[in-house]
Amino acid sequence: MTASLSLQRLSWEQRRKLTGILFVLPTVLFVSVFFIIPLLMTFTMSFFDWPLFGDHTFIGLDNYTSLTTDRQFLKSIEFTARYTLLVTPPIFILGFILASLVRHSIPGIGIFRTIFFMPVVIGLGVSSLLWVWLLNDQVGIINKIMLDLGIVEKAQLFMARPDSAMAVIIVSVVWKTVGFTMILLLAGLQAIPDELYESAEVDGAGYFHKLRFITLPLMRRTIALALILSVIGSVLSFDQFYIMTGGGPRNSTISVVYWIFNNSFTYFKMGYGAAMSIVLLVILVLLSAVQFYLLRDNT
Amino acid sequence: MKIRKFAALVLLMGILVISIAPLSAQDEPVTMTMWVRSISFSVQTLVDEWNATHDNQIELTEVPSGEFVTKLGAAVAAGEAPDIASIDLIYTPAFASAGQLTDLTEFVNQLAYVDDLSPAHMTLGEFEGRNYAVPFAAEGSFLIYNVDLFEQAGLDPENPPTTWTEVLDAARAISALGDDIYGYYFAGNCAGCNAFTFLPFIWASGGDVLSSDFSEPTLEEDPMVREALQLYRTMWEEGLIPEGASVDGGENFVNAFASGTIGMAGTGAFGIDNYKTNYPELNFDVTYIPGKDGGTASFGGGDNIGIPAGSPYVEEAWEFIEWALSDDVQLELYAGNNQLPVRLSLAENEYFEEDPRLSLAASTLSVGHTPYSLVYNDLFNDANGPWLLMLQVAIFDGDLDGAVAEAQQRFSEIMGG
Repeated sequence: MTASLSLQRLSWEQRRKLTGILFVLPTVLFVSVFFIIPLLMTFTMSFFDWPLFGDHTFIGLDNYTSLTTDRQFLKSIEFTARYTLLVTPPIFILGFILASLVRHSIPGIGIFRTIFFMPVVIGLGVSSLLWVWLLNDQVGIINKIMLDLGIVEKAQLFMARPDSAMAVIIVSVVWKTVGFTMILLLAGLQAIPDELYESAEVDGAGYFHKLRFITLPLMRRTIALALILSVIGSVLSFDQFYIMTGGGPRNSTISVVYWIFNNSFTYFKMGYGAAMSIVLLVILVLLSAVQFYLLRDNT
Repeated sequence: MKIRKFAALVLLMGILVISIAPLSAQDEPVTMTMWVRSISFSVQTLVDEWNATHDNQIELTEVPSGEFVTKLGAAVAAGEAPDIASIDLIYTPAFASAGQLTDLTEFVNQLAYVDDLSPAHMTLGEFEGRNYAVPFAAEGSFLIYNVDLFEQAGLDPENPPTTWTEVLDAARAISALGDDIYGYYFAGNCAGCNAFTFLPFIWASGGDVLSSDFSEPTLEEDPMVREALQLYRTMWEEGLIPEGASVDGGENFVNAFASGTIGMAGTGAFGIDNYKTNYPELNFDVTYIPGKDGGTASFGGGDNIGIPAGSPYVEEAWEFIEWALSDDVQLELYAGNNQLPVRLSLAENEYFEEDPRLSLAASTLSVGHTPYSLVYNDLFNDANGPWLLMLQVAIFDGDLDGAVAEAQQRFSEIMGG
């Protein structure tokens, strides 16, 4: 029995369904192989003492109970939350300002859009490394400029203090990601018909009235999307800390993912790392749910 | 049905592959796989020479240092390990204890020069009285110093410091030469660098950070730990060390000294090779890392070589290892390429005669220590681990007692599992 023969026997309705299945199959396979199966494996691993070498043993909920007394894990959650709270507003506000600036299609605007978006294209690892050298006390251009302008008297060691390390990481991440938020918000801004603004102006509305009563309400969905993506990115942050501070000074900049990485690939406690990943996943789902709820579209 | 047929086919193919493999091993020259972490020692030269002169061939893969242990562990677990592995020696106890390396005791016992092999490497290659790995690449730590700065400061470069007081005095004299000149340097944010260059200060003074059976930490009870920290703390407080040292994660470990503004620093043979090649104008010499009132010690670093469990080519792989340890190879391919021989008696050789600095570097192996621990990485190498934190809190923040107490507690926790 050949395939063509069996296909002919299918009814139109059945064929339609089959076509549909074939269309989604690649995605289903992709998601299964790269998301669902690893997720299930991680979930399973979290109940095991799973060293890199040797056998793994089932230990029930021990990994999860250990988490409650892991000082560094709790410190990392607190640090990651603080980082997310500090880095999200600048990305957002700056993204919105940039989107407003490049909103209208005037000649040459593409150049600015490209410039603002360019850092998004490079990897976070690469940009972090770039900033490490920009900020270097011996050869970094930032110290050179500050010295030449007389802002500082001697080269600054930005990574030597927790607050300055956090500050420069935020600057580097805003530089790296603001273009992405800008593009998302730009799409939202451009979807608002000009007529609305025009009629509001006729009614005597100023800039802030238009922002408050037209722009922000109509951009609710876009803002929700941009905010959720930005918050998820911040909660999952790792590269910038791993590369720029190495978790220092004095272990003050270890994010949750950094601590998961350390446990899994430095201490080789794979099961424990898996348990932390599951907890982080739950936190992220809850956080996203709250944001969706708060920014839900009432219409 | 289809799934069953497919499974049967896979099984059949598997059986075929398994049954063919041993046949080819016996009848024809074999091709072995070898993994090495990225190190300065040019293993490729060695393997090329072997391949050119032997029927059995080796395919070399360089695995990035940071991923080596994970990859090798995963490969052994998946039955895909290489036939030969050159492993950072500190990890050999962990691999051996987990049954991931082939027991080489019978082979090792037959070596005529077994007592001549770097003792630190051999100790780390042992587990429960059996040998699982032998030295392959050697690296010992020592002090490097800038001869020109010594002379300008009125110090005698022919008589470098042999006690901590002399180290401190020399550092003070050199720092006094100018604002941008410093007596001493260490990478203050690099855990591994300071296991390599700071631990020997403690060992050379008769102290240690682990008990002699490596079962528990002795950071708090051994006074030399605090005293060595105090030496660095004094140099830091007096500004004898550049401020940038506190954030150097190892990137600047070699280059800081190359700038010509640093009097002394701890380094290894890789430093000599680098400075000679890239900074020919730098006038430097080397000496042993001194103890408080004399004595010397060094960190025995480098790689051990072993045969991962499951390799079908144990005898063939051992042939290569034995060849690498032989006199000719150690002299011509190691010493001839500025690499330290892993055999003590070959520290002085015709190649190093023209550069006694390399002879000194090679001779540090005889005073080489290496902590033996299944959790070495967690204790000493981890950038967020207790070793580095202790150094930073003690040296930069000045809280010696707090730093040592915290480290003692964390060490105990980690070693206790």
